[in-house]
Amino acid sequence: MSDSLQTEASLDLGRLRQAIQEEYTAVARDPGRGYHFHTGRPLARMLGYHDDWLEGLPEGSIASFAGTGNPFRIGQLQLGEQVVDIGSGAGIDSLIAAKMVSPDGQVIGVDMTPAMLEMARKSASEAGAGHVEFREGLAESLPVPDGWADVVISNGVLNLLPDKLAALQEMARVLKPTGRLQIGDILVQQAVPADAKQQIDLWTG
Amino acid sequence: MAAGFVDFEITWQADVFDGAPQASSAAEFGTQGINFRARKAADEQEWHAALASLACEVPTTL
Repeated sequence: MSDSLQTEASLDLGRLRQAIQEEYTAVARDPGRGYHFHTGRPLARMLGYHDDWLEGLPEGSIASFAGTGNPFRIGQLQLGEQVVDIGSGAGIDSLIAAKMVSPDGQVIGVDMTPAMLEMARKSASEAGAGHVEFREGLAESLPVPDGWADVVISNGVLNLLPDKLAALQEMARVLKPTGRLQIGDILVQQAVPADAKQQIDLWTG
Repeated sequence: MAAGFVDFEITWQADVFDGAPQASSAAEFGTQGINFRARKAADEQEWHAALASLACEVPTTL
């Protein structure tokens, strides 16, 4: 095991997950507070979300949007496809995916933050999106059967996971052969020192 | 070994944090928003072919 992997393995995973949940509970409940990232409709426009994708979606989910990319800019989803949204947050990407695969497709959104799940479920109900289901779970152990998905999407989540290999293995497990990954996330252009990776604040902010 | 991903590509990259209400503590590392795509290999044969086609040296220190 490399030094960098050992360092990440020694992170207090419980503390990190708690800090992430606190951050995103705040985004769900007070999206306009002002964070180190943009939020809401202005962010969606910046990332190239089309207005017609957002049409009809509940404002609560749009306001609490906090992605870092645009999974749909890579390619629109097809009618009837089955989609897993990892770290579905307030539900905006799951609801857009549901519009694209409707009426015969299905979407499963997975998130670990109860406040986000509550908002996403409320929004799905308001939008009348019966073919979207939000499940509580972790990216490293997805509550989705093997080979279920045609597409896995995610937006701003992989960077928050110390064990990225486990998350990628789960993505591979739930995808059908030739299934697609369409991911928005973050990269760092300079190496992060091992001691910096121990700082919970650096992971969340 | 289970089949992994092939056809990885970063399709878009931009500074998505510029102008955010608070400064990011990670900004000093050059954080950028990206989109990327990949595809799960069709079968073990495609996956092993993709592995075999890799021609890179792994650095001894990271």
